Amino acid sequence: MLRAAGRRFLRLGLEHRAPTAAVAARGYHERVVDHYDNPRNVGSFDKNDPTVGTGLVGAPACGDVMKLQIKVDDATGKIVDACFKTFGCGSAIASSSVATEWVKGKHMEEVLSIKNTEIAKHLSLPPVKLHCSMLAEDAIKAAVKDYEAKKAKLTAGNAETTQTEKVASA
Amino acid sequence: MASRFAARLLLQRLSTLRRARGTSSILVASEAPADVGGGGLFSPPGPWSALGPRCVSRVSFSTRPSALDERQNPAAVDCRSLMSEEEFHNLADETIHDLLEKFEEYGDAIQVDGYEVDYGNHVLTLKLGSLGTYVINKQAPNRQIWLSSPVSGPSRFDWDATAKTWVYRRTKAALLQLLEGEVGQLCGELISLR
Repeated sequence: MLRAAGRRFLRLGLEHRAPTAAVAARGYHERVVDHYDNPRNVGSFDKNDPTVGTGLVGAPACGDVMKLQIKVDDATGKIVDACFKTFGCGSAIASSSVATEWVKGKHMEEVLSIKNTEIAKHLSLPPVKLHCSMLAEDAIKAAVKDYEAKKAKLTAGNAETTQTEKVASA
Repeated sequence: MASRFAARLLLQRLSTLRRARGTSSILVASEAPADVGGGGLFSPPGPWSALGPRCVSRVSFSTRPSALDERQNPAAVDCRSLMSEEEFHNLADETIHDLLEKFEEYGDAIQVDGYEVDYGNHVLTLKLGSLGTYVINKQAPNRQIWLSSPVSGPSRFDWDATAKTWVYRRTKAALLQLLEGEVGQLCGELISLR
């Protein structure tokens, strides 16, 4: 409801060219509009790539789905690249876009401390849209968790193979 | 066409299950698709969205542990028994209407600049002037009440049938207690919401 109202106000402002203070206050913050018009890092990595962690959160029925992917340098544990695809409102898109910007170049442990409150503050999200920033925080955590799970599986797999080889050569 | 048939079939199965087992028993995802890999979840909301059972169809046919720690598995699939939509609306509406009344009474009793209680389209907005704004609304597909607080940020409450309260699984906070504590502290006057 408020989403539609926000869009209506935005359109109103553009059409009449002289938005009143009330309209300006109810519209999307310019940072959100910027991320909507010029989203950063939209895209997809190969989820089977062992250096890629995929976080998929939300549900279409609830209105927002975010897929956030990170590419990690195995040696250093640093996130070298990130991309996202989001289905949802402008605030959800902006939140996940900001999330991909913020995780790039950071260590995996570091990004786990990115809080939804920081994203919400950066985008001046209204109260009703705070849930979007929470989802973005969840997406980051889910992506890191996925990468770590994959790494653990691979390491376990390698250990098994070495065992089998040892037995075979014995 | 095929999907509509499938939807009807699912609905029939659900109603048979419900009749067989009583009021609450169907295992469904309460919140979201799993965070690991999870292919095929990006289909646009087609005929499923009306029923809202995108989550339902997935979990009916898969097995998942029921005790998932939300803190470690943010927004992961969680199988709990799903109450009927009607029951949810009754419960949630009752809670929100009750809050509306109590906030209105509270506003009459205290002096806070810019205090305003608004209720429209099932969304309850409590403005506390410069102290911040609370937004409380229903999220039917998840059977949750969503809260946005200027103090604790966003949280999502599920109905705990045993405790007969709305609880946020991540922090174990109860909705009414949380609001009492926060609003009471912000406005400097005790408020009873239970």
